[in-house]
Amino acid sequence: MYPRPIPETARPARAAYVALVAAVLVLWLLPLVTVMLTSLRSFEEVMAGNYWGWPKSFNFIENYTAVFKQTALARYFVNSLIVTLPSVIGVLVLSTLTGYVLSRHRFPGNRLLFALFVGGNFLPAQIMMIPVRDLMVGLGLYDTYLALIIFHTAFQTGFATLFMRNFIAALPDELFQAARAEGASPWQTLWHVVVPLIRPALAALAILTFTFVWNDYFWAIVLTQSDAVKPVTAGLNNLRGEWVSAWNLVAAATIMVAIPPVAMFFLMQRHFIAGLTMGAVKG
Amino acid sequence: MSHLWRRHRHWLAPTLFILPGALLFGVVIILASIETIWVSFFDWDGVGPMQWVGLANYEQLFADPQFYVSLKNNVIWLAMFMLAPPLGLALALLLNQAIAGMKFLKSLFFVPLVLASVTVGVVFTWVYDPTFGLLSLIYGWFGATAPALLSDEHLVSFAVVIAALWPQVAFCLVLFLAGLNNLNEDLIGAGRVDGARGFAMLLHVVLPQLREVSFIALAVTIIGALRSFDMVAVMTSGGPFGSSTVLAYQMYEQSIFSYRFGYGAAIATVLFAVMAVFIAWYLRTLLRPEQETA
Amino acid sequence: MQRNTDSMAGVALATTRRRFMIGTGAVLAGGLLARPAIAQARELTIISNIGNADQRTVLQRLADEYAKASGVAVTINNMDHEAHKTAIRSYLVVGAPDICFWFSGNRMKAFVKRGLFDDISDLYEREGYKDVLGATTGALTVDDRQYGLPLGGLLWGMFYRKDVFEEKGWTAPATIEDLLKLGEQARSAGMVPVSMGTKEMWPAAGWFDHMNLRIGGLEKHLALMDGKLPYTDASLKPVFDKWEELIRADLFTPNHTSSGWEQAAAALAQKKAAMMDLAGFIKYGFPPDEVDQLAYVPFPVIDPSIARYEDFSLNSIHIPKNGKNKQDARDFLAYFYKPENLAAFLEAESAVPPRNDCPPSKDPLINAAVESMKTVVGTAQYYDRDTDPDMAQEGLKGFQEFMVKPERRDQILERLEGTRKRIFKE
Repeated sequence: MYPRPIPETARPARAAYVALVAAVLVLWLLPLVTVMLTSLRSFEEVMAGNYWGWPKSFNFIENYTAVFKQTALARYFVNSLIVTLPSVIGVLVLSTLTGYVLSRHRFPGNRLLFALFVGGNFLPAQIMMIPVRDLMVGLGLYDTYLALIIFHTAFQTGFATLFMRNFIAALPDELFQAARAEGASPWQTLWHVVVPLIRPALAALAILTFTFVWNDYFWAIVLTQSDAVKPVTAGLNNLRGEWVSAWNLVAAATIMVAIPPVAMFFLMQRHFIAGLTMGAVKG
Repeated sequence: MSHLWRRHRHWLAPTLFILPGALLFGVVIILASIETIWVSFFDWDGVGPMQWVGLANYEQLFADPQFYVSLKNNVIWLAMFMLAPPLGLALALLLNQAIAGMKFLKSLFFVPLVLASVTVGVVFTWVYDPTFGLLSLIYGWFGATAPALLSDEHLVSFAVVIAALWPQVAFCLVLFLAGLNNLNEDLIGAGRVDGARGFAMLLHVVLPQLREVSFIALAVTIIGALRSFDMVAVMTSGGPFGSSTVLAYQMYEQSIFSYRFGYGAAIATVLFAVMAVFIAWYLRTLLRPEQETA
Repeated sequence: MQRNTDSMAGVALATTRRRFMIGTGAVLAGGLLARPAIAQARELTIISNIGNADQRTVLQRLADEYAKASGVAVTINNMDHEAHKTAIRSYLVVGAPDICFWFSGNRMKAFVKRGLFDDISDLYEREGYKDVLGATTGALTVDDRQYGLPLGGLLWGMFYRKDVFEEKGWTAPATIEDLLKLGEQARSAGMVPVSMGTKEMWPAAGWFDHMNLRIGGLEKHLALMDGKLPYTDASLKPVFDKWEELIRADLFTPNHTSSGWEQAAAALAQKKAAMMDLAGFIKYGFPPDEVDQLAYVPFPVIDPSIARYEDFSLNSIHIPKNGKNKQDARDFLAYFYKPENLAAFLEAESAVPPRNDCPPSKDPLINAAVESMKTVVGTAQYYDRDTDPDMAQEGLKGFQEFMVKPERRDQILERLEGTRKRIFKE
């Protein structure tokens, strides 16, 4: 291991180390902690300008229920889920297929195709804004969940293809040679050899894609207009306009919006790290 | 039929596998991006008819002082973002200890990575607020007045980039921690035997093993810097008076607020050209080792 | 995101007849589900982007009442105010609603010229609106035809706290000299004379409007807005001279580009600033129990020979040309536009009712504005509503920059002149 592990016997050194890390952590998360504190303040306190001190009163229940009661935030949450989950599944399926083919099949244009996936995934969203919106309007999908699902699935497939291709390319060649020797079809190879081995990658990709799609704000405002479809990030921006200086409520909503990806991350952390390790490091 | 399939499946099946993803990506992402280049040759307000103007949008763009402000800010973003990989590495080195409870602490460090950029923007706008902000509070302890970072045309971009660095450093941290976990213990041991320690060890034994992680961290950081939009939009709207715009934001502003879709498309095309250089570099590096082995 | 003058004030509601889409059972939002499912054949969907909850509540109530009486299913969709400005340009062409909210004057004209708003002169005729609207009709008229109904008017001017002025023994400034004097007094009391937040830029442009109306008068101002007067014109020099004098006299909040109007209004509420240039929606920056301390005074006189012209922004409601249910849309408008309904709707944002037969308001800010309007000789709307949106974008930026760097005046004005020439094709 590097740096050299602090020996288990050196208890004071360990304690000092943990204290140091904790101190750095506090600094690191200070901005977020203060937002959490602000989400507990009363409106009067915010108006009086107490943004960073310890809250004078804790209004956890009042503020967080106000966010749900006075706005369509609950609706936005459901919308975000309806958009995000199918997108994640779509990305996993498509990128497993593309990643497998690009890593294990030689054909003319393989490299070009892969380059397009990778390159396209790095394009700024703005460059496709106008045509994508026109496309969705033309398909009659403007302001539907499907518009967002299709776009996110398409866009994230770029990154996911890079990820899956690298991951599958790093699997031992012998497995595929063996499969071929046994006369397995491409589909059998994919289903019986590849899929069982890429579970950690799928898990990692799932949480990454979930985070990207959930956090998207740009497309949320470009492709939707009504409350019935609008995802939670766009909803959050609504609140900013509505609650002019009720920062406590905006802060509460901000925290609410952050919870699902953070929770996802903590729940699937092992896969996340494992996936990144293999996907990125061996890539 | 089944005979035909059997004979051709070695190429038919992969084709069918790749088709849905390739089609979707090709139409929605690649074709749309190319269409934008096409739009950049028109004068178009987004509603009315499009009028062919040739290169006029580009001529205007290269004469537009705002364009050079955006370009300069993109360079600032790029340069400042280069801090993310070393900072991420430093944090990773600090955190890479197997002690009870460290796992949890580590994951808390990753939190900024999963926050929406809208969230990060809102949080840092509050940090920088010259009257109430955390920064003014800290300056206050030393009896000084905090600069109004988001109001200063010379400092504003740096302030926004620092906010954007927060999740970016967390991203690099995750990568490097993964890399450190994957070090070859034998090499480290050999290094220790040879008397390498501390910085020398890092430089000569550890970093060479982190080459691939570093490359990915660097590439994603560069491209992230060039793509920057959300933070500018949320924190400054390009202000004060356009001094913090980047190309992506200027494109959005011109299209949405000024109804100049053709002009916006021209900006997007220039941004695309700049990014193409880095994307090409990334692809080359990514594909080269395989070419060598192939 | 950038926000413009109509940010709080604006009310945009759009009734969309939308395709019901896959997977959402929630399109029929709110109380509609509770209604018996018999008369659902006709429907009217409304998108609103109203900034405050009170006003949305009123709109929802009116929609429910109308739905109950007519048997038409009414759905309200709420939209972000800024996002709506972008979205309207798509949905007016494809998937148009039956009714939408927008802004009168130039912003309306842009859509009328493209044939995207329905001519509702027949509704004016039927309901006799011209008699109760008077001159306001003009803002909704293109070539003698009406394309929308005016909603609340926002009268811009200076606001201050009565209790503060009383305590300090100050009087509201009537002339620019008074304002400068008040500035000194406020500063020596440790307060900012004029609270300013230009993060969203438009407050700087509003200040320009008001100075230009006081110095140059309405005709020249409108010529500038229509792109007929160069930004480098000599007649603008006194405006910028005076403005620079005010800036150099430290009249405005330092670092005003860091804060939005909300924070600027909060500074007034917190007694950190003496005055602020805004419209009735300033009350949203105030704690509810302190709103009654707010008082209005017109922007100070600069040249006594110039008549009183003010910025009076008028929101509006329209029927898109491509809407499907135009008859019910008209009926809903007629119901919504009944004096008592309209008044209830407008009360929430302290806007001046366009109808002269609305019941008197209980809101002193509305009454002050109504009273003050009686001496107004002519009105503009607001910089970013009066001029071309492309021009407005550059103008807002330029004025914000001027307020920070007045020494760059020539440079800024030349830039704006270049933009004007490009847009108005000279």
